[in-house]
Amino acid sequence: MTCTLYEEQLSSYLDGELPARRAARLEAHLKTCPHCQAELTALGGIAGRLRAVSSQIEVSHDFDRRVLRAFGYWHVTGWQKPVKSYLKPLVILALFLLAMMGAVWHFFTRPLGPPVPEPRPAVPAVAPAISGMPAPPVQEREER
Amino acid sequence: MEEVVRPGGLSVDGRLATADDATLVAACAERVPGAFQALLSRYRRPAVTLAYQMLGNREDAEDVAQEAFVRVFQAIPRFRGQASFSTWLYRIVTNLCLGSRRRRRATVGLDAVREPRASDSPSRQVTEALLTRQVLAAMAPELRAILLLRDQEGLSYSEIAEALRLPLGTVRSRLSKARTAFRKIWSKLSETGEEQS
Repeated sequence: MTCTLYEEQLSSYLDGELPARRAARLEAHLKTCPHCQAELTALGGIAGRLRAVSSQIEVSHDFDRRVLRAFGYWHVTGWQKPVKSYLKPLVILALFLLAMMGAVWHFFTRPLGPPVPEPRPAVPAVAPAISGMPAPPVQEREER
Repeated sequence: MEEVVRPGGLSVDGRLATADDATLVAACAERVPGAFQALLSRYRRPAVTLAYQMLGNREDAEDVAQEAFVRVFQAIPRFRGQASFSTWLYRIVTNLCLGSRRRRRATVGLDAVREPRASDSPSRQVTEALLTRQVLAAMAPELRAILLLRDQEGLSYSEIAEALRLPLGTVRSRLSKARTAFRKIWSKLSETGEEQS
């Protein structure tokens, strides 16, 4: 097997992803091939180079706030949190005040004393005369 | 309640900060206060780093990472846990990097790389960082993505297959190709740099 075919296996060997039998053959080759040894060392150094750069990358201080604000999460902004926490007691207080105002209004507008009966309509002592008919005779009381 | 404040982020409830991903995802689905911050705090840096190494620009990288997090948080109630949370997030970040209009050749920027400390060897550190960025920029985006997922983020082959929706055999062969490409470009650029100096 040529070096080219072994080189194709170096990456998987590096990650422990090469089947045992192939790995054994590659290890035997590596003992006798300085070129493939150097290649394996070079490939193995890539992770270190990438991590060296990535460890130096810094994230903006306001990144979290920008993400959460874009997401619309109410916990993010400083002013929304107090509003949220004060909202419940404010609603309760408003309801309590409304109830109190209702009670006061009812107290001052309720009627005083027992209910007064409405006066009955006056019944006429004499039935009205029907047109065309003579009025009934009225008995005059004898005056003493 | 104990709070943990991490650099660049909001304070996170101590118990949430130590909970595993599955617990946090479930808590997010139930809108438990602080759960989103905890997930964000845990994955902010890997997401931005991956995007930065893909795009080579900090502003674009943070935009992509922000969009990825928003998509993830919106979809969390529908997340059934077929893949791990990290694999899911990496898939979204990678797809956004590959698929957006940013699918241009990565630029070589070091704007997000911190200043070297006094104890560092500045020239060597900056030179190697710049060379690494140049090599990544010269690679095909698909090869760059698989290389970063494996060698930077440390995903397993099966996780990469899940993240990139590729068969396992393709992951194996593409990763080998990506590493070989990195090594060859590195050698070429190193030789060019030595000749110039």
